[in-house]
Amino acid sequence: MDVTLTVNGRQAQVEIEPAETLLGMLRERLRLTGTKEGCNEGECGACTVLVDGLPVDSCIYSAAATSGRSVETVEGLADDDLGRELQAAFVAAGGVQCGFCTPGFLTTLVAVLRENPEPSEPELREALAGNICRCTGYSQILDAVAATISGRNRR
Amino acid sequence: MSVIGERVPRSDGRAKASGEAEYGVDHAEPDMIWGALVRSPVSSGRITRLDTAPALAMPGVHAVVTAADAPDTRAGWVLRDQRLFAADRVLYEGQPVAAVAADTLELAREAAAAVVLEIEPLPAVVDLDAALRPDAPLVHPDWESYVPALGPDADYPRHGNLAAESVSDPPGVDDAFARAHRVVTDEFVVQRQYQAYIEPKSAVGIYRDGRFTVHTAHQFPYNVRDRVSQFLDVRPSAVRIVGHTIGGGFGAKLDAALEPYAALLSKAARGRAVKLVNTRTEDLITCPSREGAITRVRSALDEDGTIIARELEVIADNGAYSGEMPWLASIALHCARGVYRAGPTRVTARLVYTNTAPTGAFRGVNGTYLYHAVERHMDHIAAELGVDRREYRLRHLFDDGEELLNGQVLTDAGILREGFEAIEAAAPWAKLEAERRPYRGIGIAAAWWLTNPMPGTAVVKLHEDGTAAVITAATDNGSGAVSMGVTQIVAERLGIPPSDVFVTLPDTDVAGFDAGSQGSRTTRIVGKASQIAADEVITKLKDVAAGLLEAAADDLEVADGTVRVKGAPGTSVPIAVVAATATNTVGPIQGTGSFVTPFPDFNPGCATGLMLPSFPTPTYHVHLAEVEVDPVTGTVQVLRYLVAQEVGAVISPDGTYGQVMGGVTQGIGYALHESLRIGEDGRYRERTLESYRLPLAGDVPRVEFFPLEHPDPDGPHGAKGVGEGPILLPAAVIANAVSDAIGRPLNNIPITPEEVLAALQTAELRNDEEHVR
Repeated sequence: MDVTLTVNGRQAQVEIEPAETLLGMLRERLRLTGTKEGCNEGECGACTVLVDGLPVDSCIYSAAATSGRSVETVEGLADDDLGRELQAAFVAAGGVQCGFCTPGFLTTLVAVLRENPEPSEPELREALAGNICRCTGYSQILDAVAATISGRNRR
Repeated sequence: MSVIGERVPRSDGRAKASGEAEYGVDHAEPDMIWGALVRSPVSSGRITRLDTAPALAMPGVHAVVTAADAPDTRAGWVLRDQRLFAADRVLYEGQPVAAVAADTLELAREAAAAVVLEIEPLPAVVDLDAALRPDAPLVHPDWESYVPALGPDADYPRHGNLAAESVSDPPGVDDAFARAHRVVTDEFVVQRQYQAYIEPKSAVGIYRDGRFTVHTAHQFPYNVRDRVSQFLDVRPSAVRIVGHTIGGGFGAKLDAALEPYAALLSKAARGRAVKLVNTRTEDLITCPSREGAITRVRSALDEDGTIIARELEVIADNGAYSGEMPWLASIALHCARGVYRAGPTRVTARLVYTNTAPTGAFRGVNGTYLYHAVERHMDHIAAELGVDRREYRLRHLFDDGEELLNGQVLTDAGILREGFEAIEAAAPWAKLEAERRPYRGIGIAAAWWLTNPMPGTAVVKLHEDGTAAVITAATDNGSGAVSMGVTQIVAERLGIPPSDVFVTLPDTDVAGFDAGSQGSRTTRIVGKASQIAADEVITKLKDVAAGLLEAAADDLEVADGTVRVKGAPGTSVPIAVVAATATNTVGPIQGTGSFVTPFPDFNPGCATGLMLPSFPTPTYHVHLAEVEVDPVTGTVQVLRYLVAQEVGAVISPDGTYGQVMGGVTQGIGYALHESLRIGEDGRYRERTLESYRLPLAGDVPRVEFFPLEHPDPDGPHGAKGVGEGPILLPAAVIANAVSDAIGRPLNNIPITPEEVLAALQTAELRNDEEHVR
């Protein structure tokens, strides 16, 4: 079957299997391998992408269900001011170590900050409950978010 | 301007944050097909039927291989005790029995499921004490025929289910216990811990022109080369390992996993590239996790409460095959007293074969549970004596010149006292004690540790545009040791920006031997090797520039992207011009460096089975935690966590703090969250990331970090190892803090809410009984 959707701002028509996941479609058919598979059961959050602006675990999200919707992946963040600033802040603040979880954190945080431009640290820790980072212990990720927020406030 | 100690963004950061970085699981080859493994569903049994015909008959299946298709040999890091496929008996759940290659991953998994495998179950050896009884079934009936990887002369004490043993029995222990005023005894039990890197293991194998190439995201490419060569019975140089960006490893990606299967399948599939990738459950149940262990410790005290002798016995779970584990058994000798004087100490370390997944290296190998035992024991002794726990530690603390059980002398152990003082300044102990509230507790503990000494090498090559490439098989497992540490060290030496230094990914056909990202070694060892290589580049630059500047080479210096006359910076020539000139006159400029740290002097007669004889480049660590227990749910929240750590010198502040914060977080997970139980059948109870619960952002406080810097004259810019130390003590300090909070000893790891509630109920029961009396 075919599905027509918007991926990172561009129209795409993709042939998929009916039971295919959004993650499988992105990685195998569109070769958007920035979105990672960590557990394939919606626990680790490495596969997080935005569907119509809302973060979803693409490993347990039906590819067919994206018909007519807009999907944003880590590869599309550079086209977005907030996404680009978060990416730069992650690198500058030491928020990236192995980096395998980073795309999922970035997409989640773009959605969080679009909704609430100045979350408190406890709110952020709560909002990141669906994303596991095994390397950093989260502090430098929170530093990156704080730097992004203060950078936006300075303008 | 110096870039050492400055905040320099990691060189691979942009590619990782943009999604462009190619990890092992992302790697693809032209015309690649997919593999899957048939794994044993039981932990112990005899294979009664193995029929691959149904899988081979499926359209799109290229190959099915079993033990019959692999060389009749055994392989292993330390002991060659492992076959590529189970032949007649299976020894652990998840052990590969066959492998298939097919057009797609789905088809490969369907074909693997179509292989007929029948197993007659046998009793599983699971309990560590029972495994050592004379009547226990042998996990390896043929154990005597196994040969160490380094040859028969490298054999070590082992017997039956006892996979390795290290014993130190100095004189005076029994005398001291005989005259002791008091003896304090404890037993501690810890579960396994899964490394739980977010990128599951994968490998792409290619058989071409008589050689095997394997693409993999690996911490130690040369080790996987050696393992593939052993399993496939070819010489090491017939195997090429190409490294890719690593999505975390923490020790679990130091030995071969899927690589030899990918290589063999490609040969069976007539050279098509074959990719294997673990599902999360496959990854979890077959990962060389941190070993479970039982530690029994008792101390003899004189009338002043001073420790005058100790006995420590540790029994650790080897799993079904040895991997790196026998090499690590003697670590018990180095940690049996922690960092406190304890008189003559008898140490017995036993490593036991069981019908469970082989255990292996996890950051802070053996140290996490040894320090947990020693530091819980110190709290117990202080409680028995009714003295302050911190004061009691300081009374016994190592000082400069401390001679250890192995004869090694710690010339700088006085750093420990600085660590206690640094913590005290930020969190005064007496104040914390005075401000205690119900269900809150504090814990303090200290440790020493090594920096892995194993060799590394690097070539620094100068491009004609004045930038530099570092060719090395060193790996950046995420720590930043390569992408920041080595990069900064080379940039500093050559006087060019870190953004002009490019470090290759590892390729065993190209770069010389490197001992991998383990034991906090990369910044120090590979940084030093790269510095030596850069010095050769500098000598060559000066020689060529001398002609261009009409000056003596000795009067020149390399700085700010130029070669210039000392004291006359206006007389200079850009490095790029010198490099280009060199290429066309004396030839391209490059330099080579190698480095290895010698083992400190030790007494070889101090113990049997002394495989890791002493701890090179020691570092020192003091941790403090404050916790709060919820008496209704039994959950523990870590409110405050402080670390004082000797690092030699900080090369990258972000990298150093990242290791401390990340290591402590893994330690908090080990202490409180990461339950990894093994059933009586030898199978894991927790099998997914839903039940194996990792620490989340809400579970950890921001660690307060106090770096101690006593530069090591042999390290690059004084650097010592950083990465492992932070995970050594969280289990110890948190167990001490939780026990303090509820007034009951908690001696098992992890301290799950169930354990806390059970301890609280026991305490209430006691209080009620006392009340009735």
